[in-house]
Amino acid sequence: MEGRLANAWRLTVNDKKFIKNALQSEIRIDGRKPYEYRKIAIKFGRQVLASFINLPIFVFSSTQNREDGSSEVQLGQTRVMGIVTAQLVQPYRDRPKEGILSIFTEFSPMADPSFETGRPGELAVELGRTIDRGLRESRAVDTESLCILAGKFVWAIRIDLHILDNGGNLVDAANIAALAALLTFRRPECSLGGEDGQEVIVHPPEIREPLSLMVHHLPIAITFGFFSDESILVLDPTHNEEAVMGGRMTTTVNANGDICAIQKAGGEGVPQRVIMQCLQLATSKAEAITKQIKEAVEVYNTERALRKIKRHPTSKGKQGQSID
Amino acid sequence: MEKKESGSPASFIDSTVVPGDVVLDLSSMTNQTIKLGGGLRQDCDAISVMKAGTLRFTKPNKYWVESSQKRYVPCVEDTVLGIVVDSKADNLLIDIKGPALAFLPVLAFEGGTRRNIPKFEVGTLLYLRVVKANFGMNPELSCTDASGKAAEFGPLKDGYMFETSTGLSRKLLSSPTCPVLEALGKKISFEIAVGLNGRAWVNAASPETIIVVANAIMNSESLSAAQQIIMVEHLLKNIE
Repeated sequence: MEGRLANAWRLTVNDKKFIKNALQSEIRIDGRKPYEYRKIAIKFGRQVLASFINLPIFVFSSTQNREDGSSEVQLGQTRVMGIVTAQLVQPYRDRPKEGILSIFTEFSPMADPSFETGRPGELAVELGRTIDRGLRESRAVDTESLCILAGKFVWAIRIDLHILDNGGNLVDAANIAALAALLTFRRPECSLGGEDGQEVIVHPPEIREPLSLMVHHLPIAITFGFFSDESILVLDPTHNEEAVMGGRMTTTVNANGDICAIQKAGGEGVPQRVIMQCLQLATSKAEAITKQIKEAVEVYNTERALRKIKRHPTSKGKQGQSID
Repeated sequence: MEKKESGSPASFIDSTVVPGDVVLDLSSMTNQTIKLGGGLRQDCDAISVMKAGTLRFTKPNKYWVESSQKRYVPCVEDTVLGIVVDSKADNLLIDIKGPALAFLPVLAFEGGTRRNIPKFEVGTLLYLRVVKANFGMNPELSCTDASGKAAEFGPLKDGYMFETSTGLSRKLLSSPTCPVLEALGKKISFEIAVGLNGRAWVNAASPETIIVVANAIMNSESLSAAQQIIMVEHLLKNIE
């Protein structure tokens, strides 16, 4: 029992009181305003994999460019890594023409001592489900284009979300990591061949350029925290605020203002008026975040394209010098 | 090789050491008492290092290894900020960010007797002193100084407590005063308590001041002295 007590992270009485008092005068402990988001930093590929030890086994490891489809998102203190991998599988019987999209979460005890290894906790399940719902129910990823041979072979896309550091608001950070990884992921191109045209040929990336996924829109999760007694609403709660707040709500919206999902689990009740206010705030934030993700992806893509260009070593200049 | 090293203990002071380094040889320094701080251990006559960091020495006789980490390894005579986790009949269980919870005997208060046992709510912040820190045992704390006086120890009311690395908390306590505190102190008034276990508590008249001080301290970790002063000036301009 003592072991569990030692691992639990706790907030002092002083901090609880202070956070509430400061919020009453509309200040938060990190100096933000109630409706301000923390700074987001998105990294891709090489920088991420350097810190990644637990690489999942995937089938086309030899043919796939390992740099694509991995992202690391930093939201204040929170750090989440997203890895997207793909595998050819048989589709579900009731949906023979659709690819499969699945999300897995890993909460490492290194991120927060209260996370336990092994069985995923309540938070891990909720986080996975919230992101899964936002991505799948809104049909953000075109699953039909993942079909190779109806009823036989479809691509199964797997998103692994690793929580590296818990600084609060894991859902939003993990959601951005998932989107960023999906946007940079490339699956190898396939074609049908063989005698009966039923054989699948997977082309290595050196021969045919891998294809990126079709992502129709970006569902952005925005989390709100509610502080009951003062009826205060904050955007993007930190770890400390999460420990004090009475309730939370995650709204998943896209830049067009479509609501993709809302998650409101337990805690305090929220009046309809507040929900509408949240949705309005969320839409404007989603626009900004969408823009940031797209910009980051574009930078990565141009870098990637530049790497593909083969440059001749600058031998000409050297020769010229030696002649002189 | 070891002998060569042990011949000149001064050479290790203020230099980087790694686990296994033998920094002192007791056989060559008889009739001298030394105090070992965190990161050092005694194997017979050899004092060896247990963690990577910088070896420090203060007069007259204290040696310790300084490094920066998130977890705290308890060490005797450190002052720490602890959070009450649970209370038992004889002890209060205190979280000091160490590998195990620390015990605070209910009698370890000034004038503490069985009659007047202090009551603390779970989550109370206390300023304490480490009395015992042995292997395989929970560390023991005290709410009094060595002479049994309450001194500055005891519960901290109001204010805001935040986590720092152990390196930063040591920097905050160093003398001459660390530049960030010096610069802040010139402009605004606040109260601060720093625990060597990587916790700091700040109190001031208004929440804005507390937040500015807390954030200035947290930001100062990787800045040079001049940068810290510029950062503080910049922050203070914002709130005025």
